[in-house]
Amino acid sequence: MKRAVYNSGIPNMVQSGLRSALRVIFPLALMTLALAASARAADWSVPEQQLARKIASVTGPGAITLTVENRSSLSRRDYDIIRNGLRSALESAAIKVTRSEQATTVKISLSESLVSYVWVAEIHTAGGESSVAMVSMPRPDGTVSRDSVPLSLRKIPLWTSSDPILDISVLEDGSMPTRLAVLDPEKISVYRMQGGKWQNEQVLLVAHAHPWPRDLRGRLLPGKDHLLDAYLPGVICHSGNGSALTLDCRESDDPWPLLSGSTSGGLSVFPSASLANGASNVVPQLGAFFAPARNFFTGVLTPGVGKFTTVPKFYSAAVLPHEKFTLWLFATVDGQVHMIDGATDQAVRLALGSDLASVKTACGAGWQVLTTNAGENEDSIRAYEFPERDAIAVSPAIDLPGAVTALWTESRGDTAVVVTHDRETGSYEAFRVALSCVQ
Amino acid sequence: MKHSAWLCLAFSSVLLGALANAATRPQYGGTLRLAMRSAPTSLDPADLAQGSSFSTSSVSGLMFDTLVTLNRSGRAEARLAVSWQASPGMQRWQLRLRHGVRFHDGTALTPEIAAGSLRTANPAWNVSFDAESITIELAASDPELLSELALPRNAIEKKNPGSAAIGTGPFHVVDWQPGNKLTLGAEENCWRGRPFLDGIEIEMGRSYRDQLTEFELGKAEWIEVAPEQLHRVASEGRHVESSLPVELLAILFSQDASSADKSLRQALAFSIERGSIHSVLLQGAGQATAGILPSWMSGYGFVFPTDADLPRARQFRAQLQSALTWTVSYDANDPLDRLLVERIALNARDAGLSLQPSTSTNANLRLMHTPLSSLDPWVALADLDATNGLPASKARGGSVEDLYAEESADMAALRLIPLFHLPASYGIAPAVRDWTLHADGTWNMADAWLGSGKP
Repeated sequence: MKRAVYNSGIPNMVQSGLRSALRVIFPLALMTLALAASARAADWSVPEQQLARKIASVTGPGAITLTVENRSSLSRRDYDIIRNGLRSALESAAIKVTRSEQATTVKISLSESLVSYVWVAEIHTAGGESSVAMVSMPRPDGTVSRDSVPLSLRKIPLWTSSDPILDISVLEDGSMPTRLAVLDPEKISVYRMQGGKWQNEQVLLVAHAHPWPRDLRGRLLPGKDHLLDAYLPGVICHSGNGSALTLDCRESDDPWPLLSGSTSGGLSVFPSASLANGASNVVPQLGAFFAPARNFFTGVLTPGVGKFTTVPKFYSAAVLPHEKFTLWLFATVDGQVHMIDGATDQAVRLALGSDLASVKTACGAGWQVLTTNAGENEDSIRAYEFPERDAIAVSPAIDLPGAVTALWTESRGDTAVVVTHDRETGSYEAFRVALSCVQ
Repeated sequence: MKHSAWLCLAFSSVLLGALANAATRPQYGGTLRLAMRSAPTSLDPADLAQGSSFSTSSVSGLMFDTLVTLNRSGRAEARLAVSWQASPGMQRWQLRLRHGVRFHDGTALTPEIAAGSLRTANPAWNVSFDAESITIELAASDPELLSELALPRNAIEKKNPGSAAIGTGPFHVVDWQPGNKLTLGAEENCWRGRPFLDGIEIEMGRSYRDQLTEFELGKAEWIEVAPEQLHRVASEGRHVESSLPVELLAILFSQDASSADKSLRQALAFSIERGSIHSVLLQGAGQATAGILPSWMSGYGFVFPTDADLPRARQFRAQLQSALTWTVSYDANDPLDRLLVERIALNARDAGLSLQPSTSTNANLRLMHTPLSSLDPWVALADLDATNGLPASKARGGSVEDLYAEESADMAALRLIPLFHLPASYGIAPAVRDWTLHADGTWNMADAWLGSGKP
């Protein structure tokens, strides 16, 4: 990983232990403030002095008229700072800025190229001679700050990386997050919470013999008797359970679990019992085979949903447990959603994205489905319910800083992880998405 | 909140939800149909006789990979090379190759093949190899070598006896009718993963007008759009995307300037009214320029004044009393070029110069379109010098003032009168998703997919 930044605390920490959470959040907040302050207070003095010296070498000591123009992406505030700094630097070089029309004129343009700020001084002496002086300095990598939209859907930043993030898993001891695992195309990076910060604990390489498909997808799930399992197209990895972590990856077409939650006797059990409307927190397990060289599931299910053991090829699935049956939604590659309750298969064309993830909450029907909507450059995410099998939006959409590349239900079932890719900066960001009830 | 109230709230937002576009994952399948003006007769990336255009460079990238590529900030990123190291003097570069890459005939990419490919494209380079890497030794320091390696002509190719060059790119050649049509198929074992499209069909040698007709008839999903058509095509509701201004439109003199010639060339340069040509003939597309490199690339392009200065032009013209007529050639297949040359001839006449438009290849001047080959200004400048017979750049890399000095030296030779920097523009059908338009005007369909395609 070239650059990884832990952004903020995660919500369960606040719920389960305020003191612990503050230990994490407070230093992070301080660090964020410090970074923000340092970003604002860029030091322009070196290029200011360099350019002033170059101008002085042309004009010599004396008076000039000076104009400074901003042709770059520098802010007004930076422009003002630089303009004042240039005047000071020129004065230090024995050049006096006047308004006399007889004086040498110096026009400074604060410009930029793809990689640098370029400051250009066009100097016209009273004698009619012209010359150009320049300095350049690297531009910082673009960092984009965005406002979050705190509505009934909340997104909590988990991780940022310049490498693709396929999935992320917060591993908990009780309800306390102890480790964080980040799956990228070549490795699983495991971080341990120490002193209120995520410290890199180990990097586990993901061995694979064949090239990964484009639009690579991967799933990271906590193991039953070991730390975690990773599912990638044609490859399944299991971590060891010893004190030193190991990862055993093998070529495998075995099915991927479509449900998170702890498993027991062929059932997936979700911890919270406080579900609305009698919605179940125990769901029969379901697995599906993933096409090893593609970005979709083949449609073959195990053990199946009622009488259905195959469905059309699909990108993602979501479950909506009801009192007497379980409704499965499959976002198929032809753009339809197949709703299967074990006895019937209803195919509908809905304005839903390819990625579906179910979350269980104490709101509404008890289970909602998160899905993505496409924007020009940035996607959004929204929650839906399916009364009478009609898709009803039950939350406003929240904007995401890029295109969604992954959306998976987390192991507890009440939150989801969404990963976005910012095509401008190339960075990937993982968020935890939680649904809050409207009061 | 009761569930009924909850749903009531929910229904109020259902309309918005239905109106939103679903975010869909890439779908496999389908054939994308492209049309382009260039009509190359060879697909060999090292064959410089084919000339260059954004589309020919892009087509090369569908079949061939380079060792490195430049990202949108102009910085080198790994491609067939995974890492690199330069000696302190930047005269010797070592690049370690990626494992597991295969050519379209199944042969593994080896350092030996990569070294041979680079030697063919760059006879002046001393390229050696070992088990893991290649080493390039140069006659002089070259801090910009990575940018050069990212050029299409330095793509790694394998030549089998009696057959065309093959690459490691996401598509392989299915059918090739030189200068007319190229059919590409998805490479199942591409090291970057199989592309989503099953194939690409490229019609070559199509005029802008023919391309637009094919686009309107649904016979092409992707076309090139002429700069002067950009505004109209977009205003008709079609989806058009443009790069940064990356193509230099300039007047090129066929010979170096004699001392007497220089004042006439200065007169011509000062007579051209770029502003009115830009707004009328180019319909506002691109940017007027009097420098070779665009400002977004160099940071200083604005120091070369673009405004016409007729008194000064006449002053230069008056320095030589003899009457003179220059012939100026243009691309007979490009209606815009003819209008541009006629307009420049009118401006020249105001300054007392006589320009005779011509489609002959032996003209004194030529209106030329030159794509800037790299996001790296040093490489772009050197490439432009080389392809147009201008004096070779003396240095590579250095400060922005060094770059300015190099460009100023080119300008001082008066072989070239820069006029405009134009964007590369393309019309795209709504079904084409996730294609990439690079800042340098080239495009990439490796990750493209068709919304209506079936996996």
